[in-house]
Amino acid sequence: MRILIVDDEPHVMRVLTLCLRREGYEVDSASDGAAALTRIRSQPPDFLITDISMPGMNGEQLCRAIHAEFPQRRFPILVMTSMTGCENREWASRIPNTDFLEKPLSPRNLIARLAGFAARP
Amino acid sequence: MSTTDAALGDVDFELHRRRFENATGGGLALGACDPRGTPIWPGADPGSLFTRTLAQLEGSGFVWDCNGHAFRHRVLDNGHAMVHAPISPPPAAPLGYLVAVGQASKLDASAAGFASTMRALEDTAAAIRAEQKLRRELDSLALELAARYDELHLVYSIDSHIRNFSGGWQVFQKLVELCAQHMNADVAALVYPTLDVTLSATNLSKPMFNLDLVLVELRGDLYRFIQAGKQSVAINEAGDERRGYIFTGMPYKLLASPLYLGNSVAAILALVNHDDKPDFSASDRKLVEVMANQFSNLLHMYRMLEEQRTFNRQIVAALIEAVEAKEPYTRGHSERVSAISVDIGRELDLPEAAIDALGWASVLHDVGKIGIPDAVLSKPGALTRDEYTFIKVHSERGCEILKHIEHLKPVLPAVRHHHERFEGGGYPDGIAGKSIPLSARIIAVADTYDAMTSSRAYRAGRSHEEALLEIRRVSGTQLDPEAVAAFLRVCGRDPAWIRTFGILRTQGDD
Repeated sequence: MRILIVDDEPHVMRVLTLCLRREGYEVDSASDGAAALTRIRSQPPDFLITDISMPGMNGEQLCRAIHAEFPQRRFPILVMTSMTGCENREWASRIPNTDFLEKPLSPRNLIARLAGFAARP
Repeated sequence: MSTTDAALGDVDFELHRRRFENATGGGLALGACDPRGTPIWPGADPGSLFTRTLAQLEGSGFVWDCNGHAFRHRVLDNGHAMVHAPISPPPAAPLGYLVAVGQASKLDASAAGFASTMRALEDTAAAIRAEQKLRRELDSLALELAARYDELHLVYSIDSHIRNFSGGWQVFQKLVELCAQHMNADVAALVYPTLDVTLSATNLSKPMFNLDLVLVELRGDLYRFIQAGKQSVAINEAGDERRGYIFTGMPYKLLASPLYLGNSVAAILALVNHDDKPDFSASDRKLVEVMANQFSNLLHMYRMLEEQRTFNRQIVAALIEAVEAKEPYTRGHSERVSAISVDIGRELDLPEAAIDALGWASVLHDVGKIGIPDAVLSKPGALTRDEYTFIKVHSERGCEILKHIEHLKPVLPAVRHHHERFEGGGYPDGIAGKSIPLSARIIAVADTYDAMTSSRAYRAGRSHEEALLEIRRVSGTQLDPEAVAAFLRVCGRDPAWIRTFGILRTQGDD
């Protein structure tokens, strides 16, 4: 199972990478939306986890770009968003197979979510 | 993947190889293997000198151990020679070996330059070891950070649930569910034996047939054990001797933490897992303690709110008692009007806060009668104009009395206006239609109904059906048609209070 993580914060990336590898996931990373798109074009992941606020192309723009380029994509997208903030989430409802992951992120929680996704038919 | 591979797997060997090449001037194949001689780096290329050499050594009885030396030198039988040095200095057990293979002439132990090649090999091994150590430290920091993230996530989630806390057990139930989910536990339970409360949530990895029995054990022996020990408990091993008195004969893994009220254990938060799930870890224990702490605070708040509510109820009961003591024939009137008003409010889909206010207003609507002379209140038959004036001040009077209670501010309009007429001309203000607060219009319906169906000093109560006829008749004049319609819908469902209030029926049933 290959997971692509898109985030510009190295500590988040490091923690997620380590925790996911320990669970046997293969982890690939990109620090912004444009780099993520390049990765997806060369090899689509089984999962995409992206932060929402990033320099350059942000999480929302990335999701829209992916949806425009790969309307039939199989891999689910999890968008990391603040639990306390009140960012607009409505845009995601128009992009299928996209869900939210609340920050402060719990690796434990993420792993449970991924297992849940993997168990889906 | 073996643990040794994992230990060196993320080292940037290519960088070390380039440094080694710069130091030695090239001509040597460098590689790394685990303590048993299995190649770690570079990847398996069957043609490479390094891989061929390792394959050759495997099964030849070659022992990799350097016996406490910094390196070992070996001449191979194909015109090549090999040196290897342990990655991690003695006496530590080697994480693996750094191996250089090349022409025998290049690795001639008596040649000039051999010593500096060996220094380069040792330095490289030391640098790999240092890098590996840093990476492990970084990993353990990252894992620590992950645990903190988990905690923070949990605290935030609990917090967002607590924010809307207004008493009641629902929030605890939600939190227990959150706990089962977040901890990925088969069962999570909050046990509060003194109030006889056990809230549980399941997130079963496979069926648990004796769940009821498990909850009984939690309420009994486990609770007492934690109450005595005053600290969290994790029981993983099947052979744990504490199982002799907790969870006798049940193979589940268990994690529980106390909830404090003051200095004493009031309740416990417990997780139960099937025995094939991973053991409860130290970080699981920490998280459950964090949750238990939050639960304790919430429990404290709950208790204070309950006390406040009990106090409020008692004050109201005392006020009602004061009114009803003056007017014995209307005993129970306040409760009946309140029950009916709340039913109408629910039928109209009022929000919970409005229902709450309606409940208070309806039970207290006649509190102003405290100010009316007994002779007027209990006079049988018609009242004189002056006497009626006395009666008419009771809604204003009620408002005056209740305005001393800050908490009851929202109910004042309903108390003041419950005798207004929908078409206007009621008292005290003579307002009409939607200018009359909805709660007052609702109470007016319930009040009218109860006034007709209950017995008075001078007459027996009328039947339910007669009362409905009258209420229909005055709908739109005295009473709000909307509130009346809602009341009639409530009556259409044959509500239990018709029987419990002992209201007469004319159509023979009951």
